[in-house]
Amino acid sequence: MYWEKELETIDRKALESLQLDRLNSSLRQAVKSPSYCRIPEINKIVKSGMTSIAQLGELPFTTKEDLRQGFPWGFLSTDKKNVVRLHSSSGTTGNPTVVYHNRNDLQSWANLMARSLFSAGIRDTDVFQNMSGYGLFTGGLGFQYGVEKLGCLSIPSGAGNSLRQIKLMRDFGTTVAHAIPSYLGRLFEVFKDEGLDPRQDTQLHTLVIGAEPHTEEHRRRIEELFGVKAYNSFGLSEMNGPGVAFECTEQNGLHVWEDAYVVEIIDPLTLQPVAAGEIGELVMTTLDRQAMPLIRYRTRDLTRFIPGPCPCGRTHRRLDRIAGRSDDMFIIKGCNIFPMQIEGVLLKLPEVGDDYRIIIETIDDQDEMLIEVEVKKQWFTGDLDFLARLENHIVRLIRDEVLVRPQIKLVEPGSIPKSEGKAVRVFDHRQK
Amino acid sequence: MTYQVSVFLENKLGRLEKVTAVLKQAKINIRSIHLNHTANGWGILNLVVSNPELALRLLNEGGMSAALREIVVVKMADSPGGLDDLLKGIASAGVNFTNAYGRVVDDGGSALLVIDIQDIPDARIKLGAIGFDIVADSQVYGV
Repeated sequence: MYWEKELETIDRKALESLQLDRLNSSLRQAVKSPSYCRIPEINKIVKSGMTSIAQLGELPFTTKEDLRQGFPWGFLSTDKKNVVRLHSSSGTTGNPTVVYHNRNDLQSWANLMARSLFSAGIRDTDVFQNMSGYGLFTGGLGFQYGVEKLGCLSIPSGAGNSLRQIKLMRDFGTTVAHAIPSYLGRLFEVFKDEGLDPRQDTQLHTLVIGAEPHTEEHRRRIEELFGVKAYNSFGLSEMNGPGVAFECTEQNGLHVWEDAYVVEIIDPLTLQPVAAGEIGELVMTTLDRQAMPLIRYRTRDLTRFIPGPCPCGRTHRRLDRIAGRSDDMFIIKGCNIFPMQIEGVLLKLPEVGDDYRIIIETIDDQDEMLIEVEVKKQWFTGDLDFLARLENHIVRLIRDEVLVRPQIKLVEPGSIPKSEGKAVRVFDHRQK
Repeated sequence: MTYQVSVFLENKLGRLEKVTAVLKQAKINIRSIHLNHTANGWGILNLVVSNPELALRLLNEGGMSAALREIVVVKMADSPGGLDDLLKGIASAGVNFTNAYGRVVDDGGSALLVIDIQDIPDARIKLGAIGFDIVADSQVYGV
């Protein structure tokens, strides 16, 4: 049932004392970096030693901007000769964010990843196809090392080339595959074009989806298309990558591995902890990384703790699926809107396809939100009234959800340009 | 049963031509055309063609949203008052339609009205019962 029974089902008291031990050594390691050694609060607490996890609240946050300022070596806490790998963000909007790993770091990351996969019912008898970009993106090698640690037969197929993906799946009897959710809809279309049905023509029983926030509705659609269980994987490169939090077979929240991270959820405006069970920004401190410990890192991801214990017996708390990123939020007519709210409405409608675009424009000095929606072919009957009613129905549902009346534009299926990699949903063309 | 092909179209340059190119390629003849559009940038194209089933399949394969809708095609006089006489008859048959379009026939005296009856129960029977000249499929499709 468990990859590491003792650690996964540890009682909360023992977990806290383990966290405190590890946090103290993490802090001692962190102050060896040029960036953290300049922070007086951290130096002070390293001298006295932390006696309770609550004292973490006295330390300053680390932000993505801090990491960029420290580029390239500022947060490295060890001699460069001990570092064996780096991962990096694309850095299209400034210095990239770089994370360094020594051998131990890679081993504990692979172990967290194996533990995560095991919790979703994946075993060493599985054939695991990783349809994720390899290279600097952590979804490739992160999964690769975890899958090997677990003992599956791994197929490092990489991203894209759907025909080859399908061929590999069929040739080697792939039972588990990992991909970003927006890709799987496209892959299914290719199956269909080839006259194949993944439910009958593959041996898939499990999909792992992550790296893109998505709704429960989107997950259910993917499960239906492929006739499998799809498990939500959460991670970010600053916290290693995948393997930070993962759904167990209960599919009700993602266990965040608290022996490896101290997890806080704060109000992004007041920076104070939110009330139990409320949504806020996820803040994480590494407990198990030597080359580059991070303290109170603001992830920008919005989530909440799911209250109560999980029937699976794991005591590590569960995060709710990511509700969006604090940076993705846009404000229109004074209302704060997250793209996920709009996706939640759209994907509940059976007539509506998986792809959509939110375009924000200034029209006559007013901010307007236009949403392009694809109507699935099988719902098209040639009846103009039906489509006009559907349009009005969507307008009402979205207005009720986000309090702003959108303009809805129905478009031909397949006409919304597919983005390579993570789906881009929001296009803000407002005059700034 | 007689059918038209209805196609969803965004109001963008070249979209209509995408449809006609598919039909031309398959040597499908267009007998009537009727274009609807809404204020929201999309519309529906209705076509009477020589082979509606084939047109439907090819348009769907070409990535477009297309559907067949049942129509009835009735004959009227190609002279002043021809449509008025016809409509009186249709009203007396109790058929309330919302989508129709006409065509003149080159036979020196008649015209045709294409009526979308997809969502009108028993329209064909009602119109036939009062003695309308319902045009046969072969003549509608021109095959």
